[in-house]
Amino acid sequence: MTVNASQGNFTQKIRWRRILVDILFVLPALIIFALFFAYPVISSFYISLTKWNGLSPELKFIGVDNFTKIWGDKYFWQALRNTFKYAFFATTIQNILAMLLALAVTKPIYRPFRVLFLIPPLLSSIALGSIWKYMYAPNGVINTIFTMFGLEAFTQSWLGNPDIALYSLIAVTIWRWTGLSMIIYLAGLQSIPDVIQEAASIDGVNAWQRFWNITFPLIAPAFTINIILSMIGSLKEFDLIYIMTQGGPGKATESITTFIFGQAFDTNRFGYGTAIAVVMFAIILILSLIQMHYLTRREVQR
Amino acid sequence: MKIKKYELMPQIASLLGVLLWSVITIIPLMIMALAAIKTPEEQAANPFAFPEVIQWETFERAWTDANLTRGMRNSLILSGISIFLLVVFGASAAYPIARRSKYTPLFYFFLSGIMVPFQLAMLPLYRLMKMLDLINTYAGVIFIYVAVSLPMVIFLYVGFIKGINRELEEAAMVDGAGVFRTFWQIIFPLLKPVTSTVIIVNIMSLWNDFFMVLLFLPQKEMRTLQLSIFTFVGQYNSRLNLVMAAVILSILPMITVFLILQRHFIKGMAGGAVKG
Repeated sequence: MTVNASQGNFTQKIRWRRILVDILFVLPALIIFALFFAYPVISSFYISLTKWNGLSPELKFIGVDNFTKIWGDKYFWQALRNTFKYAFFATTIQNILAMLLALAVTKPIYRPFRVLFLIPPLLSSIALGSIWKYMYAPNGVINTIFTMFGLEAFTQSWLGNPDIALYSLIAVTIWRWTGLSMIIYLAGLQSIPDVIQEAASIDGVNAWQRFWNITFPLIAPAFTINIILSMIGSLKEFDLIYIMTQGGPGKATESITTFIFGQAFDTNRFGYGTAIAVVMFAIILILSLIQMHYLTRREVQR
Repeated sequence: MKIKKYELMPQIASLLGVLLWSVITIIPLMIMALAAIKTPEEQAANPFAFPEVIQWETFERAWTDANLTRGMRNSLILSGISIFLLVVFGASAAYPIARRSKYTPLFYFFLSGIMVPFQLAMLPLYRLMKMLDLINTYAGVIFIYVAVSLPMVIFLYVGFIKGINRELEEAAMVDGAGVFRTFWQIIFPLLKPVTSTVIIVNIMSLWNDFFMVLLFLPQKEMRTLQLSIFTFVGQYNSRLNLVMAAVILSILPMITVFLILQRHFIKGMAGGAVKG
């Protein structure tokens, strides 16, 4: 041992002081996160195994009963189907449009348009809901436009027709978020060195081949982020549905999130609602992991 | 000239695409503005027509009837304090995590919050808030805002701090500056770019938040801007001009800030993209 005792003590003391300081740095964040997020999340796994009306302090343990009940609950399955439809169409269409727009606005002259396309993502759900409720109203704007062009046959009760209401909501979601996805794709595009594109165009590669073989593989990270963001975002959508249709007409636009909310706050079945949230979490987790696995695999190493 | 031929088609397509999406973006916004400045009768007759007389007083009426002074004040207090706490707590927690690898498990603990949908925490959280008597208090909602947004904030800060050279802070320490002073006077100013991303991403989600305040802050005096508009729209849903005027007033602050700070916003939106 070359280090003598007093030196050892000294480094020991410094190390402890350093750990103490680290703790002070982390503590405020840790306490708030643990108490107001981690603890509720963890306790929800227990609450999902109980019968609880949300009011009484007592939780009655009932094992996996809630989960077997979910299995046989046809409204749950309908909500799940709606949620999947919503997520699938919103994610695909929004990403195709956003990628095309990003390719279109790369030139600096289009800068004002980028700014314009970013206005919808800034609007609150209530603003959006109010605007689009009027657009969709039976005597609203969309029907007026159809009538103006002599297309009365296409006029609809956009939010009142159970076959169409869900798609009307999907359209609003796409209108809202396409600009944001576009800006993420654009950031990806701008990180591609110009020389690569120039080299390809001098070699006489046409625009389509250039997109498919060069640009698309290089913006794969932006693609991964966008797909996962819009998928998780639409699986979790609550505000817009609650504001525009409250899950109606009937249960036509009921999603998992509005279903959970209704179970808890309309019928006071907090235990059951929590169990559905656990199922929803499992679904989102599995889908994200699958997507991340496949999408990151195709990202080009640069 | 061969290159030109390859370039022309995509350029025309770009232009048409951009114009089409612009029209789709503008029509709902324009209709909203027109509906607000016309009388309901004019609007019903032709939604696209401009009014004979612009009804400015609709805005005044919407402002007072929806009690937007109170709404804006409450929203400012809530998002302001929450964002301040997020920056202070987030940056300082990220510092040791970024600097010492032994805190990696702690980092993953925070990160797990990004994956978990809020709905999973919602009902137990409601119970906790009731037990702690935090429903209908600013403090309660601020705690939740901070807790829910912290994972992303810490993630952004850790990534950024890792890219900063250690030599600077080591030099400061040798000069005898304490750890806290070193962090706040030397490191923190270097974090400006990521701090602006953090602020922008969180302004967008907190100013527009509807769900948390619907659950935890329903009391009349505490209503935020979003809840004020929500109740106003519910009461006046047949008065299209008043509803649209209130909606316009509610989105103007955000759009104004966005237009002034465009560059920062666009960078922040792309950089904070990871936020769910």
